[in-house]
Amino acid sequence: MKYLKTMVFVSAVLLAATGAMAEKLVIDGSTTVGPIGDAFAEAFKDKCDVTVSKTGSGDGAKSLVAGSCDIAMMSRFMKDKEFKTAVDKGIMPVAHVVAMDGVCSIVHPSNPVKSLTTAQIKDIYKGKITNWKQVGGADMPIVVISRDTSSGTYETFHGLVMKKEKMASHVEYVSSNPQSHARVKSTKGAIAYVGLGFVDREVRALKVDGVAPSRSTIAKGIYPVSRPLYLFTAGYPKLGSPAHLFCTFHLSEEGQEIVEAKGFVPVTDY
Amino acid sequence: MRIQIRQTWNHLFTVFSSMSVVLMVAALLLFLVPMLGKGMSAVFFRGTVEFRKMQHDLYGLGSESTLQKEIAATQAARDDIYAIFDRFSRGIDTDLLAGEAKRLYRDHGDELRYQNVPKDEYTALRKQAKGIRNHLMDAFESVDKAEIFEHLDAVEAFKSDASLKGTSVEKLIAMAADYRNIAETVDFSKRADYAEELDAVEEELFRLFGPRPGVERALAMESYGATRWDVVQKHLHQLVWQESWVLSEDGQQMVQKQVRRDDPKEGSFAGTQLAPMFALVEETVSETLRPRRTFYWRYFVQDSTPGHYFGGVGPEILGTLLLTVLAMCFAVPLGVISAAYLVEYAGENWVIKIIRVCINTLAGVPSIVYGLFGLAFFVEYVTAKQKCITSASMTLALLVLPVIIRASEEAIRAVPRTYREAAMGLGAGKFRTFATVTLPAAGPGILTGIILSLSRAAGETAPILFAGAVALGPIPDFAGKWWFQPTRALSYGCHDITVGDKLAMMVPHNQYGMVMTLILLVLCLNIVAIVIRSRMSKKLRGY
Repeated sequence: MKYLKTMVFVSAVLLAATGAMAEKLVIDGSTTVGPIGDAFAEAFKDKCDVTVSKTGSGDGAKSLVAGSCDIAMMSRFMKDKEFKTAVDKGIMPVAHVVAMDGVCSIVHPSNPVKSLTTAQIKDIYKGKITNWKQVGGADMPIVVISRDTSSGTYETFHGLVMKKEKMASHVEYVSSNPQSHARVKSTKGAIAYVGLGFVDREVRALKVDGVAPSRSTIAKGIYPVSRPLYLFTAGYPKLGSPAHLFCTFHLSEEGQEIVEAKGFVPVTDY
Repeated sequence: MRIQIRQTWNHLFTVFSSMSVVLMVAALLLFLVPMLGKGMSAVFFRGTVEFRKMQHDLYGLGSESTLQKEIAATQAARDDIYAIFDRFSRGIDTDLLAGEAKRLYRDHGDELRYQNVPKDEYTALRKQAKGIRNHLMDAFESVDKAEIFEHLDAVEAFKSDASLKGTSVEKLIAMAADYRNIAETVDFSKRADYAEELDAVEEELFRLFGPRPGVERALAMESYGATRWDVVQKHLHQLVWQESWVLSEDGQQMVQKQVRRDDPKEGSFAGTQLAPMFALVEETVSETLRPRRTFYWRYFVQDSTPGHYFGGVGPEILGTLLLTVLAMCFAVPLGVISAAYLVEYAGENWVIKIIRVCINTLAGVPSIVYGLFGLAFFVEYVTAKQKCITSASMTLALLVLPVIIRASEEAIRAVPRTYREAAMGLGAGKFRTFATVTLPAAGPGILTGIILSLSRAAGETAPILFAGAVALGPIPDFAGKWWFQPTRALSYGCHDITVGDKLAMMVPHNQYGMVMTLILLVLCLNIVAIVIRSRMSKKLRGY
């Protein structure tokens, strides 16, 4: 009997100890916003236990509604259906715009074409333009590369450039930004689209409608294919809670520096 | 005649079978050797002083005093480079100078207010200072040499004014003299081109040497220069060589052209004060970065910074081991018991046949289906909506269960009937026979199934993707409830590092390193299992 009592006491203490450890913050969602989540977590590592997984925008929304994560990272806004499911469950999703991102059309640096209009890009992806000659380049067939249809980058491109029209059947699909980058780097006639952070000296970003993608053109909304990146929470987080600090971190000077370091466009300007 | 045909067939068979073996070995070599070779570069490389700095700051390794000495020595060498760079960039990037002038002008106002100067005098002095500042700002803004000197002359006219001694305005005048020196050497017509190139040069210097002393960066990846000699080489090349694409012929592809930035004819900084810097960086690079052969065995135990930019794969290895071992704990008893039932107890009726078909089908179900099942069942109902090690290893157990059942079934079936009959003859019951005679005899066969499934469980990504693996999370905490924590894992880490971030493109050695670790880990697990199996069969053979 005595033993039993001590056992109960010890386990109660253990339970309390594990419960009161550091505060936990579970983050799930888009692979695009993932790097920001990772980096913010690095800055938060002394304050609380942060868990980041990257399953995709849709799954992030699902786990927010299911209550298995505190913050959902999304590279697109919640769809009507997702929003409705959330509200039906009594969860009011609140969006925090954490950064901006431009979807840049990239080509091999040897390609003499420097600028395209959205209509031309659309025609390329619809298969109406099949040779670089038709847009003022060398006589070379265009290798068209797109992201997989479940990615947020695809959705942005599909909405803003394709105007929700179907892509041609010869379009080649790859499943990540680094893959698009690698494919264009090694293929002279290729065109693909990636987030601003993936534009470097090995590929060249085209001007779209005469506007070169850059921090300032994207922040001002002049560059035609830009999008906000979101963190979603269930209701506005309790002020002062880890979730609240995390969702407002991008507004601080340090947060802005991190967003820039990760190749995104910050919403603040210090 | 018939014998000859038979021999020909035999020869043909020998040739084809040996060829297939050779092909398999070649494929294995083609795949494994580059993978392991590149992976090894995560562990064996030439680490620079930045690497040792990073290891000290992030993990508290290395001795403080030697490191400080080393940093001081390299910093001295770097200062020469920065001195050249700063001197030149002051002439190009005049925003900084303009900012300083504005600050000095404001300071002047503060000084006057502090001294309680009468109002009239104050206004006059401020007006004078403003005039000087505006001349200076115009000089900074202008790209016409004559105009610049005109403005500078106007500022320096106040040089002999004794009343300005010791005030901030004197500093403004000193700036003008300083700027005159710079202006004499800079070709202002190229200032815009210079400014763009200078940004690129500054970026490469930052990649080589990290932030200047005293500058604090929020992220670890931004706080250190090139930690490895191969990275140093890459950035050194990009620093010295300017890459451009030029149109050779109209309507043709552009061709790449590389020019040294300090090339006397075509280089972008030809004949400027910056030109000597490039040669200096090249000459002193082993002094400024101090590469040293490094055996980074801690790669296998250290934690990493988010995104795997720095650090090792310790938590990933631990997570993978936990997941695999726990999955085996779930799957092996279940699998062996089911196999025993199917062979020893169940008859041959249609229900059993259907069950067998189901098991075979399960073995062929894609792993992502298991992953989704794990999310929908284990995470939702078993572990209280918590993605964790338990739910992930249960999912993995489910994935390998069919393989274990099939292998155990075959192994148990292969035990000679005479063994059982002998045991029964000695009076042992059905269960006793199975537990003491049949099962040990089937042991090596069952272990083969376990080995196969062990490697599969360690390498699978899809089943744990939704059920418990995270890209970034706590290290399993053995004091607390580690089985209810999500974990990092090698397979998911490999996936994450290749799809997520632009970071991964900057640290290919870590990418290959993680793949290599996974291959080595599976190899080690297999070797352990194989050793156990050979011991077991030795014992069975009785010698």
